[in-house]
Amino acid sequence: MNSAVLRPFLPRIVARQTPSSAIYNVRAYATQSLSTGNPAFQVFNRNTKYQQRERAANNVERSRQVDYLKDEVAMRLTERLLDINRHFGHVLDLGANACNIARALTLPNPDPDPSKPSSPALATRVSHLTAADSSRAMLFRDADLPFNQEISLTREVLADEETLPYEGSTFDAVLSSLSMHWINDLPSLLSQINHVLKPDAPFIAAMLGGDSLYELRTSLQLSDQERRGGVSTHVSPLADVKDMGGLLQKAGFKMLTVDVDDIIVDYPDSFALMQDLQAMGESNAVLGREPGPIQRDVLLANEGIYRELHGNEDGSLPATFRLIYMIGWKDAPNQAQPLPRGSGQVNITDILGGGAVR
Amino acid sequence: MPSRTKPIEKFAQAVAKCSVESSAYGKCIVADYNSVHKDKCLTEFLRLKDCYMAAAKRKS
Repeated sequence: MNSAVLRPFLPRIVARQTPSSAIYNVRAYATQSLSTGNPAFQVFNRNTKYQQRERAANNVERSRQVDYLKDEVAMRLTERLLDINRHFGHVLDLGANACNIARALTLPNPDPDPSKPSSPALATRVSHLTAADSSRAMLFRDADLPFNQEISLTREVLADEETLPYEGSTFDAVLSSLSMHWINDLPSLLSQINHVLKPDAPFIAAMLGGDSLYELRTSLQLSDQERRGGVSTHVSPLADVKDMGGLLQKAGFKMLTVDVDDIIVDYPDSFALMQDLQAMGESNAVLGREPGPIQRDVLLANEGIYRELHGNEDGSLPATFRLIYMIGWKDAPNQAQPLPRGSGQVNITDILGGGAVR
Repeated sequence: MPSRTKPIEKFAQAVAKCSVESSAYGKCIVADYNSVHKDKCLTEFLRLKDCYMAAAKRKS
């Protein structure tokens, strides 16, 4: 029942830089960017990103060491499934990294409730999980760890996360954790996700956004400016919280929830932060970035500026990861609808019994 | 494999020995970070770099 089905190791057929439209030239549905005539911006070099993640995952030990962020976010994300009182038949984990979501689903007692002895792991509410990612090394890194036995899991290597090879109305839920910040054409991907969901099925995702790593971004800008007289992109541009609502709505999702959560990690120095990012496979992959590593002079300057501008009193350097969590539901005729604005009949203070609102 | 120190770690160790110079350089930049131009804090940076070069040499 719980034997994970592994696809045989086949050589990659698809050249990485072939535009996705050439791979899937039969288009069963129109994507947002083409249907509305918006140009699809290319921001990230997906091939570089692929190589960075393969390389990172091939160093298994180091890659596991820096899973703290992905594991924490996967846990916070799967917690949100507790609020949905249903059983999920087939769930897709899009951009699965090292199957961090699968691992989080198998954690015992996800909902500590003092009145009950313990609650079953979330995996019991998922019949089958498909973990899809473009990096084979990353995806299969933890394929022989014990958690694989506790959940029905298939790993699937995608040619590119930007094009989903699934039929419409396939999944009872789509999850995605810390992957969508490398997607070039977010509107297109979101409408594809909407397409593969069954009616009235949720899409729950967490992505890095907004002010993530603003400390590193600003200090590198200052050091670039002072050392070299110009600024180069070292930290990715990220989607903003206020954009996500609009994007989800445009893709056809209903009953949206978008919220943010900051995770601040303290590092001993800026080099430790950059090394960890690299080991996570999250190095810079912006198109048109400077080739090669950052100059040593700039790194040297950056360390001083980072510490002066953002450093903690105890000598550590904080790095902010701003996570955007989003939930959207695929439209369905018999779905619960929000009531019209101003139609409330009960004062909420009567129910909650609070005092005067100041 | 872990016995081999990566270049970036060597670099970090050497830079850590220059916290005074590094902080002086940082202060110079942060004092007026809205008008940073090339070589604004050149003296401070050269002092930092000298210290780093010395520290890097001492190590190896």
